[in-house]
Amino acid sequence: MKEIIRIVVSLTVSCIVAAFVMGTVFAITDKAKKHNEHLNVHETVLGLLGYNKANPAPSDLRLFTMYRYIIEDEKTKNLGYMVPVAHEDKEGYELLVINLKGEFVERLRLDIAPEKVAEEPDRKSALRAVIKPPRTFTYADSTIIAKLGGKRLAYLLPGAFPGFKTFIEVMLALDPSFKIMGLEIMEHEEDPGLGGEIEQAYFKNQFRDKSFEKIKGLKVVKEPLPDEYFRYLEADKTKEDMISRKEIAEIKSKYQDKDIYALTGATISSRSVTVGVKTIIKKFTYRVNILDSVIAGQRIPVTF
Amino acid sequence: MKIFRREYLILSVLAVLGLILLGGCKQEHRFIKKTAFKDTNSIVIVFAGPVDEAWAQNTGNYSIYEKPDPDIKLKIGKVSVSPDKRTVVLTFEEDLNQDQPHILNISEIISEGKSLGTAFVKVKKLYFGYLFSILIGAMIINNFVFTKYLGLCVFFGTSQKKSTAVGMGITFTIVIVFSAMMAWFLYQFVLKPYRLDFLQIVVFIGLVSLSVQAVDTILRKLNPALFKAFGVYLVLVIANCIVIAVPLILADNEYNGWESLMLALGAGLGFLIALFLMSSVRERLDLANVPTTYRGLPIAFVVAGLFALAFMGFSGMSIF
Amino acid sequence: MPATTKTNSQLVVNGILNENPIFRLALSMCPAVGISTTVMNGLLLGIAVLFVQVFSSCTISVIRNFIHPKIRIPTYTLTIATWVTVIDLVLAAYMPAAYKEMGIFVKLIVAFAIITMRLEMFACKNSVPASFWDGVGMGLGFMFAMMTLGFVRELLGMGTLFGYDILGFKPLLFFVLPAAGFFCVGIMMAIYNYVELAYNRKKKG
Repeated sequence: MKEIIRIVVSLTVSCIVAAFVMGTVFAITDKAKKHNEHLNVHETVLGLLGYNKANPAPSDLRLFTMYRYIIEDEKTKNLGYMVPVAHEDKEGYELLVINLKGEFVERLRLDIAPEKVAEEPDRKSALRAVIKPPRTFTYADSTIIAKLGGKRLAYLLPGAFPGFKTFIEVMLALDPSFKIMGLEIMEHEEDPGLGGEIEQAYFKNQFRDKSFEKIKGLKVVKEPLPDEYFRYLEADKTKEDMISRKEIAEIKSKYQDKDIYALTGATISSRSVTVGVKTIIKKFTYRVNILDSVIAGQRIPVTF
Repeated sequence: MKIFRREYLILSVLAVLGLILLGGCKQEHRFIKKTAFKDTNSIVIVFAGPVDEAWAQNTGNYSIYEKPDPDIKLKIGKVSVSPDKRTVVLTFEEDLNQDQPHILNISEIISEGKSLGTAFVKVKKLYFGYLFSILIGAMIINNFVFTKYLGLCVFFGTSQKKSTAVGMGITFTIVIVFSAMMAWFLYQFVLKPYRLDFLQIVVFIGLVSLSVQAVDTILRKLNPALFKAFGVYLVLVIANCIVIAVPLILADNEYNGWESLMLALGAGLGFLIALFLMSSVRERLDLANVPTTYRGLPIAFVVAGLFALAFMGFSGMSIF
Repeated sequence: MPATTKTNSQLVVNGILNENPIFRLALSMCPAVGISTTVMNGLLLGIAVLFVQVFSSCTISVIRNFIHPKIRIPTYTLTIATWVTVIDLVLAAYMPAAYKEMGIFVKLIVAFAIITMRLEMFACKNSVPASFWDGVGMGLGFMFAMMTLGFVRELLGMGTLFGYDILGFKPLLFFVLPAAGFFCVGIMMAIYNYVELAYNRKKKG
């Protein structure tokens, strides 16, 4: 009996100590983790817009995030856009409900501070206050809108689609005319050396500068990547000016309307990225046009 | 008496499978018997009776969208009706994303001059097929030993003889199914709701030790003969990283109960397959003249590398 | 095993050479095969293992007189799991990119047989400093093995080291493929065996 008590006591003590250690570490690291995640996204966004250490982002560049939800009850389904708005210089968020035909339904004020909006639980509790059961809401996706000096500079679309093995997560940058400004692969589990090459500049930069018209019919071709094009695509990496400005412009115009060259030994990965990018852009362009017309029609003071 | 019992067991398994199949085929409208994807860009609808051909040919009567994007309707290119007017094939302008369930809205079905109302049907891949693909995926395509490189210590330790290999594989499968289900339950209903997911590692390793102990006790009481055969392997299970990896993967991917069961079962059976293959080769290797420096583990590693290369051929394969 | 008589430096060297966890003891080989594709990966996972091994060894060594013999193993598991959770949280927070590379393997340190074995064989019988140096030796041995594998695979597979271009071309793409990990580990083990055989022969003759 005495032994049992000793065992129980010592196990309890060690569990409490362990829990204390882990709890403390969690409390310390949790904030840093979230901060770093946001920083990572921020850096990717800046990278896609063409800013880096040598060419820092101008101070009047601002990023706004818009969240899309699906709002439904038993009968109807609507889309709800959480859009950043400014009322008399005070920034906040509003929920803009649009029906499936693209007509305005209602707008609801949300009680959420702009700096808290990035956290999913905070968004949920704000939405719960205005959307009462039986209406439910489910998160669909988000869009980042970059604004420079009062004008829209780019749309940044995070997205995911199935690759060769598991999901590939990407971030796409489109300019206001829906031309691709850049593609960044955020996460993937393709085979290293084969499908894993999708994260290399010579593949992902092929998407750069493709126009919206071209994207609609974008295909993958199984041809070897021409040498000069390879050098052009990898130009960001090489520090010394291996190719002149004139040459860059020449190669750019030559290959701008070409299809995507498949990676050797990873045609399926290349194809799934191309199709995935195509789908994301198509859906987005359809929606953003509707959203813009609703915003204009309702005179909603959006910040973007 | 014993035979009867076995029959009951088989019957009940069949009944469960049938229920799952039925669940997968359930439709929301009585007049529509079946909907399914066909090829890359068409959907087949089978009606219970003949439908009006003029109605069926009108593309305006159908509207379809992917479940997460209710606002974006897909464009139907062509509708073809079979001679007996019971089957309608919708062909779309673009390829369908078959991983997503599609919602199909058929308005005012007209059959033999009567209107049968509007139907909302979900078009999706069979859920049973999805479960099966998880099972095969974990077992062969993403075999934990040869494509994920987990559980190697135990793998090399117990693959010298076929009998040991099979014993280890079976014991391992039982324990992993047991512990993965408990881990899934705890994670979904305790750790996640209370935001304690950082305790994953401690909780999962605790559960594994617990289930090993439980299987040990139960086996000892119920079937001493079996315990004698498999008891020795139980201790080794704890040192196998697959047994920790499976709950971690379950937690990451948010699988539901059935899917978790399939993944755990697939992982266990995959380990069994890997052990069996490896032990078959190593029994032969004992007879071969291997250079002294390569004897034992080094040559086993080279053989495992060859297996891994062979298993790479499965990668990316999709079933259903 | 009674309390050790080896000096600190002998303990460290022992971990790297005589009892190298991967090539000699053949323990914790999953990461050696799975993520030794680059030197950087090897280094980072090595640091993580070093951390867990050293802290667990020290913890057990400190409380070795209070542990009830019957609950020895659960205590070890709890200790290791705690330190693994700590390093997991820290890496996820401060080095997200590297953490993503290593994937599930950081969490799997908890199932590494090598750590439990060192606690059972060494830390629960020896003083804190000796356990510390033993932990350092084992951790360094692991790191050394991982980095050697990473060095070979990265140089031959991608022609780079630590991400810097060394060769300018890719000699054998095969080495980056995951399956090549098995071959590399097998060949490294054979080399260790060969050195041992040659050494013994020299001593005799």
